[in-house]
Amino acid sequence: MLRKSMIFATVFLLVFTTVLSAAGRTEPTVAPTKTIYDASDWDAVMEAAKKEGKVTVYAVTSRIQAAVQKFTEETGIQVEATRLSEVELIERVYQEGRTGVNNVDLVLIEDYPSMKELLIDTGYLVNFVPPEAIAHIPAQYHNPMVFAYVNRIIGYNTEKHPTDPFTSIWDLTLPEYKGRVMIRNLAITGEHQNAFTELIRRSDDLEAEYLRRFGKPLEKVESNAGLEFLRRLILNDIIIMTSDTRIAEAVGSRGQADPPYGFFHVYSKFRDIPRLNLALDFSKNIQPLGYYYGMYIQLAGKPRNPNAAMALANYLLTADGFTQWSNDVGIYSMSSEISHHPDDMPWQWWEERLWTYDPEFAAANRGFVLDTWLRYVQQ
Amino acid sequence: MKQKMLLGKIRQNATPQVIMAVVLAIILCYLVLVPIIVMIQQTFTVQAMERFQIPGSRTGDFTTRHWARMFTGDLAMAFLYRPLLNTLIVSISLALVSLLIGGTLAWLVVRTDMPNKKFISNLAIVPYIMPSWALALAWITLFKNRRIGGSLGLFEYLTGIAPPNWISYGMFPIILTLALHYFPFGFMLIGGALRNIDSQLEESAELLGASRWQVLKRVVIPLILPVVFSTFLLTFSRGLGTFGTPAFLGGPVRFTMLSTLLHANLVGQRPGMGYIVALIMILFGVLVLYMDHKVIGARRSFVTISGKSGMSGQVKLRKFGRPVSIIVIIFLLCVTVIPISVLAIETVMLIPGTYSLSNFSLHYWIGPVSHSIGLGTGEPGILRNAEVLNALFNSVRLGLIVSVICGTLGMLIGYTVVRLRGTRFSRFLDQLSFLPYLMPSIAFGAIFLALFAVQRGPIPSLYGSFTLLVIACVVKYLPFSSRAGIGAMMQIGPELEEAAVMVGARWTKRMGKIIFPMQKSAFFSGLLLPFISAMRELSLVVLLVSPRTQTATAITMKFTDRGWYPYTNAIMLLIVITILATTIVSRKLMKTDLAKGIGG
Repeated sequence: MLRKSMIFATVFLLVFTTVLSAAGRTEPTVAPTKTIYDASDWDAVMEAAKKEGKVTVYAVTSRIQAAVQKFTEETGIQVEATRLSEVELIERVYQEGRTGVNNVDLVLIEDYPSMKELLIDTGYLVNFVPPEAIAHIPAQYHNPMVFAYVNRIIGYNTEKHPTDPFTSIWDLTLPEYKGRVMIRNLAITGEHQNAFTELIRRSDDLEAEYLRRFGKPLEKVESNAGLEFLRRLILNDIIIMTSDTRIAEAVGSRGQADPPYGFFHVYSKFRDIPRLNLALDFSKNIQPLGYYYGMYIQLAGKPRNPNAAMALANYLLTADGFTQWSNDVGIYSMSSEISHHPDDMPWQWWEERLWTYDPEFAAANRGFVLDTWLRYVQQ
Repeated sequence: MKQKMLLGKIRQNATPQVIMAVVLAIILCYLVLVPIIVMIQQTFTVQAMERFQIPGSRTGDFTTRHWARMFTGDLAMAFLYRPLLNTLIVSISLALVSLLIGGTLAWLVVRTDMPNKKFISNLAIVPYIMPSWALALAWITLFKNRRIGGSLGLFEYLTGIAPPNWISYGMFPIILTLALHYFPFGFMLIGGALRNIDSQLEESAELLGASRWQVLKRVVIPLILPVVFSTFLLTFSRGLGTFGTPAFLGGPVRFTMLSTLLHANLVGQRPGMGYIVALIMILFGVLVLYMDHKVIGARRSFVTISGKSGMSGQVKLRKFGRPVSIIVIIFLLCVTVIPISVLAIETVMLIPGTYSLSNFSLHYWIGPVSHSIGLGTGEPGILRNAEVLNALFNSVRLGLIVSVICGTLGMLIGYTVVRLRGTRFSRFLDQLSFLPYLMPSIAFGAIFLALFAVQRGPIPSLYGSFTLLVIACVVKYLPFSSRAGIGAMMQIGPELEEAAVMVGARWTKRMGKIIFPMQKSAFFSGLLLPFISAMRELSLVVLLVSPRTQTATAITMKFTDRGWYPYTNAIMLLIVITILATTIVSRKLMKTDLAKGIGG
């Protein structure tokens, strides 16, 4: 009896105290005393940066590792970069910020709505506009600081369709495309969830588009045309995949009698067309022909190496710093110094035709997108 | 006076197993119970991204909405019941199929005179060494139909017959490929138990006139039942949690499981709902554990290792020996060589999917940095990539340390649980050591990060350290070795130890001279699973690694990221080879023939 109660008391005390201090995600945060990044005297920043330690970077893109090598050669500032997926990156910065570890100095991050809610509003990340951005990047891309935009499009096989088969985004819900449309699992693709909120926000546009295409008004089961589109897309026997690369290959492979269509896969896969000998193109006639999302540079709220982080942020926005990305299609710097890839269209072309999403609206509504997806996706 | 009585009482009760139990329980409570309580707490909390959907709420508020939505809302069918049903069907079938395969193989290797045993027992663990998606990928390569486009599946290419959807995708291939991946659990655990059965027991039964069937039913099956249950439990639980294969094979026909749902909620920044899914998985695991106790606990203890000679007699297969051996080898080659070839072929083709002689090259293995050859990746070949090799070294180090700690702890837990059997405390310890197995890796990783990021009382900050990786993996894979330990200890009677106590041997001596030597083979099979698992772990370590402690699997992300699958596959192959090599070397070094632990 005695033994038991003693064990229980010890265990209870131990567990209780820890739970109080280790709660998952919502414990009131330590009032953040955010670092003010002051770049007014850039020479002083660079001077101080060289005296600081190794810059720690978390990034959603692995090319960061090659990109920082030249930076280190030029400045002598050491960088340690870790590649994380979008969810892992947010979770890691969040948990580190919450417990006061302050390991990271700079992040290259996606999924703006989550980043804003979990990391910016809490003060774990801070926006910083380096001199390079002030000089060469228009002010509308400064807050949050855009590192690059990435685009997703609808791909089709050019052997089967010498010309664009689609005239409207609603075509994809037609019986003739039943069981032929592929999409990367929305459940594991945060940016898909964000992008579909734009279809909700611009429901009226979608509804008008339906009327234009079919000459009759849209009959809705869902409360708005955006979710109705998602519902019809899924119920048209959609094929769920786990990788955009595999989608692009499946769509573009030659010698197929009945190739599938890739819904919103990343455009960057088009770089492989010559090498893989793919018969792949994307639909240009429809509105929207896809969407784009941002990859952002943010600095830590409590950095270890604030000056070196500023120096690196500045470098990554220069043409030199962007080399690792600019030699590919499908990723776009907003800097006037960096021109688009020779095989790609200029950003203005894309911006006119692609949709993106409103961060506030996406944060509030992406739950509905995921709910609708999960509801209809069961076979 | 009172104090003295208290002290006396403590001393009287403080046998080694009790002290051990208390120490283990405290450690496990901190490492297991705290994460679970945090998860439960989160399911009742409004999460940052959800405050919009719950009008008037603020982040951190108390809410029961997650539970209500999952269980009773109009989406409950899609959110919970359908995926749950699918998951249960898959998990149960896969556990049964892998039990059947693993058990049969174990019996053949341990209890018969089948030829080529050593080769077979080495080959039989390879399916688990490979990443589980390798089999799924192989399946798709062979049996895909035109639904998912691209090049033709090999089966259709050769026969001209298109496989129907249910063969190509969904439940059937998921069960089959996962069963083929996890049957080594049964092979190793059941094999270890079969070896420990003294064949004198069977011979006595036969002498008393029991038929073959009676011997099997009344002697062998009851003896191995605990370990059969453990195997079922381990494979069943894996079925609950595995994500990669169900997502890959289920997606094309929209077959969803709980693990998909868990990921969806985590990616959607709804951890509250995600953790409910995780807790349901944990609940099912605990249910099976409970059944295990009901069935096994009701029986008397079966002591099969008596300390006397345990030479087991073998069933003579006579003229069937060779054919059986050939069939087994063909089967094993199919489930190992085919997926490995599918991986390997992709690593030696410059341009994926182009089958011409000029396209074959070792560029992705030993090539220099190049922007023009093959995929033009600008990356050096895997074998000359210092980063990859360094990460591989880290993985091996992690695997070895984790497995030794797991093995030792597993034995101690087994010892304590069995010696205190029947007490509620023993059951508590047993369950506690099993729970981490069912926790989603990413949640587990996140909670561990929070737990060890800063100093808490006597526990120093372990942030970014290799130690933290070790602790996380040890806790996660402890169930393998604690199940093996419990199974093994069940078979040792207390008499031997009591005899040692009589002649005054201390506890450490008893462990070192009696318990451990008798459990050597079980101990080493208990090492293997944690070793392999730690070497292959990705989602658990990814939140905890720093560039210095980078592991080989974490590095593969860099390549999958951009669709450079040749590199990913090459690294996976390198991991497979390393695991095999390490296993063989450590067998030689430790002078314990592991193959003997499982026949050979």
